[in-house]
Amino acid sequence: MRSLTFALTLALSPLAAQADMVDDILDQQILPAMTILASSSQTLSQAAAVDCQITSPDLRQAYIQAFDAWVMVSHLRFGPTETDNRAFALAFWPDSRGKIPKTLVAMIKSEDSNVANAVDFATSSIAVRGFYALEFLLYDAELSHFGKPSYRCQLVRAMTKDIATTAQDILDEWQSSYAAQMRSPSGRYQTKDEVKQELFKALNTGLQITADMRLGRPLGSFDHPRPNRAEARRSGRSLHHVELSLRTLEPLAVALAGDNPDLAEDLHNGFAKALASVARLDDPVFAGVAAPRSRFRIEALQQQINDLRTRAETDLGPALGVEPGFNSLDGD
Amino acid sequence: MPSRRGFLAGLLATGLAPQASWADLGCPSYLSAAKVADGRFILAGLSPQGEILFRCPLPGRGHAASAHPTRPEVVGFARRPGRFADVIDCRNGALLARLEPPAGHHFYGHGCFTPDGSRLYTTENDYENTRGVVGVWDTADGYQRIGSFASGGLGPHELLLRRDAPGLVIANGGIQTHPDTGRDKLNLDTMRPNLTYLGFDGSVDAQMQLPADLHQNSIRHLAMRSDGTVGFAMQWQGELGADVPIVGLHHPGTTPRLLAEDDPRVRNLNGYGGSISFSADGARIAVTSPRGGVVQVMNVTSGALRREYQLDDVCGLASNASGFTASTGTGRIVSLTGATIQPLAQVDLRWDNHLIRLI
Repeated sequence: MRSLTFALTLALSPLAAQADMVDDILDQQILPAMTILASSSQTLSQAAAVDCQITSPDLRQAYIQAFDAWVMVSHLRFGPTETDNRAFALAFWPDSRGKIPKTLVAMIKSEDSNVANAVDFATSSIAVRGFYALEFLLYDAELSHFGKPSYRCQLVRAMTKDIATTAQDILDEWQSSYAAQMRSPSGRYQTKDEVKQELFKALNTGLQITADMRLGRPLGSFDHPRPNRAEARRSGRSLHHVELSLRTLEPLAVALAGDNPDLAEDLHNGFAKALASVARLDDPVFAGVAAPRSRFRIEALQQQINDLRTRAETDLGPALGVEPGFNSLDGD
Repeated sequence: MPSRRGFLAGLLATGLAPQASWADLGCPSYLSAAKVADGRFILAGLSPQGEILFRCPLPGRGHAASAHPTRPEVVGFARRPGRFADVIDCRNGALLARLEPPAGHHFYGHGCFTPDGSRLYTTENDYENTRGVVGVWDTADGYQRIGSFASGGLGPHELLLRRDAPGLVIANGGIQTHPDTGRDKLNLDTMRPNLTYLGFDGSVDAQMQLPADLHQNSIRHLAMRSDGTVGFAMQWQGELGADVPIVGLHHPGTTPRLLAEDDPRVRNLNGYGGSISFSADGARIAVTSPRGGVVQVMNVTSGALRREYQLDDVCGLASNASGFTASTGTGRIVSLTGATIQPLAQVDLRWDNHLIRLI
């Protein structure tokens, strides 16, 4: 009887429940998502090789799939994405100084020979690499027709190949070493707690980018709304990115809540509320930020995401050993 | 047989030494303010390895500190909008003087001594008159206030001695605040930070302003190279997600250089430079960002970002013999010399914004 009680206690104890948290997040979330990013980027590169016309339905479909796959991992800003600036090479956003169109125009005008091979292209300005630069070539009214069609074609192929290589490099590092370092911390991470704290930071980063950047940048201020700052507005993806971000962050938040079902349920409800607002918004590029009524609905969505941030910081963080920063909150 | 240090300590204790100096003490290498687990605040002196050599209580949260150039006295400054600057005898932690700014002023958290140690300068907010001020204190006789002069802008924060000429250089952050509204920023649309070079009498020798598109980049913290080059760290107050430089270099009479502007990793600083320091050889300059949880090291000659270290809640920063020493709000002291972070010490304290190197 005594041993049975002990076994039950062990099975139900928080330690036992949490023992697999990192493995679960790696196996059910991070590694599959990184695999999809690499394979969809490969498909994109192949589609461009077959047909580099920007009107090609296969190319556009492949672009949408691969960009979606990036947004689903865009909060995982540590380790393999930071090696060699890979995340910036896939996603140079926000681009507050308009470096992407400026650099692309210069590149196309001069018919920069870096497009000829992948190694050279990878040394180009980060502003002409990745999904956001490719969006200009595929969807921008001017840049999609700027310069010689043959050069634009070379550029699309160089960009997509570069994206595929970068995405594969990220996946390779995850599979060959980084996932193992997170499972059995002994180097970069000294303890499992540090690994969980890294994952918690990723959740926070994701919520922050979505609230402050994806929504905050187009919202601007009431007197000065900035609809042109909406992310990926040329391809009509601004609101879609908010939805993707919520869909990828929810399972991470719930997994990090671990043995606390009440918190997990609260977080789930918070995400469900925000996703319901997204579904009702019907404003794919946040054009409504300038009109009071529609602006209010976008602000309400931002508030729901900020509520999730607060919940994560006050309840989830401390449970994982993350205290609010003494210096980071100071500001001086 | 007593050691030389023990012998001197004995002399100091009995008051037989003619005048105590830093050399007698086995002087600390670094100073830092901290919050103790029980909620109180201290100023601590640290060895090169990050061991705590002394702790002095402070009446409230500290910010930066400054050491007298010859006497074993340090001044711990209150975090803004605080109203104390405590002069502490490092041999025994005794409070030698408590400086209070005049009515209608508060301290900004930084100060510095003249090379001969006869004067102490403090940055202050004359908030009723919306004026940045430098307070002047005579250190000879109990730290009497003997005057003040305009800092050359709003929100003066860090100030340092010039190395290329007699005088001071001051980071006027440009932000107007008033104690009635706490730490609220009252003039973000019109703020215009600057670097101001002042003679010891308050005369303006030179001023540097950044281009208008950077008017919301608050110049806050400073580092000084032996040739007089000033390194400055900024804190962006404009729209989130803007791509702005955080570190610059300046020499009076020249155009400032902004570092690593085209490196996307500057974004990892989250628009916020917390502390800045040159390396001992002056070839590199480093900046901390507690908001980004990173330290970045840049090459002074090329301006390129050379290294980045991930470190939670890092803020305090100073040079060491071969690289940098940094402190964190989680109680860590680390050395940053090669590619990796070398832990030096971990204590149950929250190290506050700045780590001040003494020697």
